[in-house]
Amino acid sequence: MEFFDRFAVPHPSPLIYASMVAIGLTVMAIILGITYFKKWGYLWREWLTTVDHKRIGIMYIISALLMLFRGGADAVMMRLQTSVPDNAFLDAQHYNEVFTTHGVVMIFFMAMAFVIGLMNFVVPLQIGARDVAFPRLNAISFWLYFAGAMLFNISFVIGGSPDAGWTNYYPLASTDFSTSVGVNYYNWALQISGIGTLMTGINFIVTILKMRAPGMKLMKMPMFTWSALITNIIIVFAFPVLTIALLMGTFDRQFGTNFFTSVNGGMDMMWANLFWVWGHPEVYILILPAFGIYSEIISTFSRRNLYGYNSMVSSMAIISLLSFLVWVHHFFTMGHGALTNSIFSITTMAIAVPTGIKIFNWLLTMWKGKITFTVPMLYSVAFIPLFTIGGVTGVMLAMASADYQYHNTMFLVAHFHNVIIPGVVFAMLAGLTYWWPKMFGFMLNERIGKWAFWNLAIGFCLAFFPMYITGLDGQARRMYTYSEATGFGPLNMLSFLGAGIMAIGFVLIVYNVYYSFRHAPRNVGDDPWNARTLEWATHNPVPEYNFAITPQVDSSQAFWDSKKHGYQLFKDDLKDIHMPNNSGLPIIMAGLFFIFGFSFVFFIWAGVILSGIGILACMAYRSFEKDDGYHIPVKEVKETEEKFGGAKK
Amino acid sequence: MKIDHSQPLEYSTEQNKMNILGFWIFLGAEIMLFATLFTSYFVYEDRIGSGPAGAEIFGITPVLFETFILLTSSFTIGLAIHAMRIQRTKAMLVFLGITLLLGAAFLGIEIYEFTHYYHVGATLQTSAFTAILLTTLGTHGAHVTFGLFWGLFIILQIRKRGLTPETANKSFIFSLYWHFLDVVWIFIFSFVYLKGMM
Amino acid sequence: MKELFPLKQVNGFIFSLLLTVIALSVYFMDLSFELGMTILLITAFVQATVQLVVFMHAGESEDKSAIYTSTLYGIIIALFTVFGSLLAMVWGYM
Repeated sequence: MEFFDRFAVPHPSPLIYASMVAIGLTVMAIILGITYFKKWGYLWREWLTTVDHKRIGIMYIISALLMLFRGGADAVMMRLQTSVPDNAFLDAQHYNEVFTTHGVVMIFFMAMAFVIGLMNFVVPLQIGARDVAFPRLNAISFWLYFAGAMLFNISFVIGGSPDAGWTNYYPLASTDFSTSVGVNYYNWALQISGIGTLMTGINFIVTILKMRAPGMKLMKMPMFTWSALITNIIIVFAFPVLTIALLMGTFDRQFGTNFFTSVNGGMDMMWANLFWVWGHPEVYILILPAFGIYSEIISTFSRRNLYGYNSMVSSMAIISLLSFLVWVHHFFTMGHGALTNSIFSITTMAIAVPTGIKIFNWLLTMWKGKITFTVPMLYSVAFIPLFTIGGVTGVMLAMASADYQYHNTMFLVAHFHNVIIPGVVFAMLAGLTYWWPKMFGFMLNERIGKWAFWNLAIGFCLAFFPMYITGLDGQARRMYTYSEATGFGPLNMLSFLGAGIMAIGFVLIVYNVYYSFRHAPRNVGDDPWNARTLEWATHNPVPEYNFAITPQVDSSQAFWDSKKHGYQLFKDDLKDIHMPNNSGLPIIMAGLFFIFGFSFVFFIWAGVILSGIGILACMAYRSFEKDDGYHIPVKEVKETEEKFGGAKK
Repeated sequence: MKIDHSQPLEYSTEQNKMNILGFWIFLGAEIMLFATLFTSYFVYEDRIGSGPAGAEIFGITPVLFETFILLTSSFTIGLAIHAMRIQRTKAMLVFLGITLLLGAAFLGIEIYEFTHYYHVGATLQTSAFTAILLTTLGTHGAHVTFGLFWGLFIILQIRKRGLTPETANKSFIFSLYWHFLDVVWIFIFSFVYLKGMM
Repeated sequence: MKELFPLKQVNGFIFSLLLTVIALSVYFMDLSFELGMTILLITAFVQATVQLVVFMHAGESEDKSAIYTSTLYGIIIALFTVFGSLLAMVWGYM
């Protein structure tokens, strides 16, 4: 029995036991359901082994939405706990675990997955490609992300959650202060999904550089594709830093090294340094695709070309470089001298300039435009003022001397939620609504969508604006409770109400999916929004080969030209189409990675060695495998095209 | 699969070109991976706690052997790629074999070096300095080890299938990897060993 | 036999051996720290460039601008990281 003791949860509570039961029941229900409806074969053939970028994108988005609800539940629990002074709903340890998992899940497993999911679905279509450059690698990326996410999510029922915050600062994260295996989970879950993300980065850079439709010069790419390119460049150069930092953390916790201790030369703040060398670029990894999505949506629903294309691109390029130059502003209070702080203070303020340029470009795109307030456009319009407030408070935080007042208070929490929620979350929801008909062939209900939007927008303001005030008054972040004498009570109650309204908004989105699936008309056409980019030039939903004929492009808005000026996009004849084969290897490898990570977390060396050998064996198998893909004959392409309503001209 | 015969075999298909570009970008990521290790190394260099300093444990002899062996292996794999381009499959395999043997010799010396460190009391747990030293060297060594297996698989594939667009592509990419490991070693040699012993 | 040893590669090899020997001077001669570091920085980066251009054929394909850009970008960010971290954690740390 001693062997199994290590899997026990160190701080059990009725909530955790209830979750265990709920997880067990859900998993059983899913397995039974699939078996009952005899869907295992379908699932395996069509989804689990797929290398199709569209399906991988959809799987990313579904996972991201699941994680959104996991992280959202954490958020509501935190707001509930702090809604009144001296609340005893959660104890200190449980609260630590909840805010840690909230941060990690939302950043790594929700936002990243959502961004990458939309990129997966949209980018190849926007550049007129058949798939990504390395379809098999793309599947590996997804399954590694999924394995990492699952590994992280089982932590709270097996062995205990990490409890040192999503930034996982040492010495708090060391074995002295974080005695459960939680931080081991953190290290391995992020390591595994990080490898997947790095592969995605490489994959998309090559895809965008090499697979654009003939005639699509770099400066004729749609803005979302541009943002994806820049984002992936940041991914490629930022994620290796996290890899090494996590490795060092693992060594400290599991092999007794002294990287982040305070003895034998160790330096705990070095973790903070490395974490933010990766962490600050990460912020831009999340926000740049959001900028790309807003650019597409604002231009589409203003019926105008995007204003200032060149300045949009160059400001993103500048952001990508500057994003690697500002990381020290996350620990101004560490105690380095005025010189260091001043340098990083200036670079931080400098990054506000290209961001400001983009804000003006969006405003000028809408200027004199014929604006239609659809759901995606509502999110985009709300984004501009809300994000600007977040940006301005960011500049406040960038002033190193003033930061000593704001640091680690609720002011900071308000600031970064103020950029992440209107910035990233709104963009993802806007993008999802916008591209939904391309994914599933029907539109989401506008009326319910607007209700959801207003709940989210108002709930957001209620939940986070009070934190600016309590933060300035000195409420520290990550404190599980406070006394009544502080006077923080009423404003925190307001935050809780806001969180509740946001929760209603998210539930409405789920209801909208259900409602639209049942009631929305299926004959929406291929271009329901009257959009401007290439992804709308193919059928709805998209056939597996994307474009029967590769489009030819001569301007930045070739599809718009084809609609308004009779430009001919598809000039070639139908040909055989070469497609990549499905493969079970990615999911098997990711499963082995999961076992590897899990065994490592618990020091089960036999599991580590066996799964490690298994992973290498998979790679060796892949090396020797011959896989040239297959061809879809012209006849079949023709039949498919007929079924979708005739070949595109 | 369209094959363009005007190009060298390793560039002859679109997929091959993408593979090569993708690997270059991967090497960009590897630059950052090792840069992070170097960053940490420079920060921890003087933080030796109660353990030995670099100058006390580094020996010039094994380092010189490692350096010249790896430099030579980088030369021979360059020759292997040249032989591949003039269709001399046999010569190519010989050069590849020499490269891997040199790689194995390098690894042998590095293992010797590690046992030496162990004996003089510089282990992973001794101090922040020894930990980052062994982690940096170990990461490079792990890359070399991985490369040995990878190179071996490529030799086997060329023997079985001959020089095809796929095997030529794999060989070229492997050569990029191997040269890159040499570049990393140059930086380890200069800024870990020589700087430490200066 | 001769066609197996092209001049470009052989010269590159000899040059890199030479650079290694120059770098070794910091060990065998009694140089100041500044001079030694200057020598090491020059020899290391020249050596890396030789590998990149002569052996890795970085400039031969149609994607050379992408290859050079990504490599250069990596090097620049690597230098930012190294020196920024030293500034934050060693030189500027009180």
